[in-house]
Amino acid sequence: MEFDRELIVRAQKGDRSAHEALVNQYSSMVFRLISRFFRSREDVEDVAQDVFLKLFARIDQVRADENFPGWLARVTINTCYDELRKTRRRKEAMETYGPEIAGEQTVAPKEPDSIGKARLALQRLDPKLRIPLLLKEVEEMSVEEIAKAMGLTQTNVKVRLFRARKKLQGMLGGVEGNSK
Amino acid sequence: MNSYKEFFDAERKRVFQPDAFFTQRVMARMDTGLGESYFQTSGFWDFVPNSTRPVLALALMLILCFFAVEMYVPQLPQHGMVESFLAPEQSPAESFLYNDDAPSRQDVLKQLIAPEEQ
Repeated sequence: MEFDRELIVRAQKGDRSAHEALVNQYSSMVFRLISRFFRSREDVEDVAQDVFLKLFARIDQVRADENFPGWLARVTINTCYDELRKTRRRKEAMETYGPEIAGEQTVAPKEPDSIGKARLALQRLDPKLRIPLLLKEVEEMSVEEIAKAMGLTQTNVKVRLFRARKKLQGMLGGVEGNSK
Repeated sequence: MNSYKEFFDAERKRVFQPDAFFTQRVMARMDTGLGESYFQTSGFWDFVPNSTRPVLALALMLILCFFAVEMYVPQLPQHGMVESFLAPEQSPAESFLYNDDAPSRQDVLKQLIAPEEQ
């Protein structure tokens, strides 16, 4: 994606119209990335707002020679990662302390059964395994791109992808085994 | 794994788009100062996921402790007590013979070679 360096410079100087232009230009990209990790529109919107607030709070750190969309993708993925971990901790707390609330799980009622099972298995994956897998399989990003976006080495990304696939295979086997 | 393929295909199609007022909502949140106060943290840590922060902080602390110990604990002497006691009694020629780290000064070498030449 081409980006306007002049726009970044103006935003760094505190130009409000440049801020608005940046949100207009990149909100679709940010929404698309966040949609991979969150199911409800409200969650996606909340995280997207956080991403842009983070962006404007740290806009001074963007260097002129830097790949801005890549930088923004990294901030987006890190924000999603933190949010997913928070959600997971909240969920675990609910399962421990509030079984009646935890029982109200809403899992894609309209989709086919097989997809629902796959979604459930993916939701159970640790975010550190889920994020690279979704970026690879859904966003079709290369290992190198994922490594850059997540601040990991390529080997680390490959290991996480391997573990994620293996865990999913195990889970799906388990689910199918239970359903028989 | 076929269901995963179907799932990933379905996911590819599921994309939320920002509505017409998204930009206004972001700007409004910025104007209320919520953004600045919420994210007023050190820049370096923003790029590190929350989960890895304690590990990094511990590593940094250990490195700092190591340097602090290096700075404040006195270094061990190069020679032991016996070597220090005997050192003044050794002539340069002796020290050259017995110590590996004695400097091979020109005058010491001459002193050693002189009896051979005579």
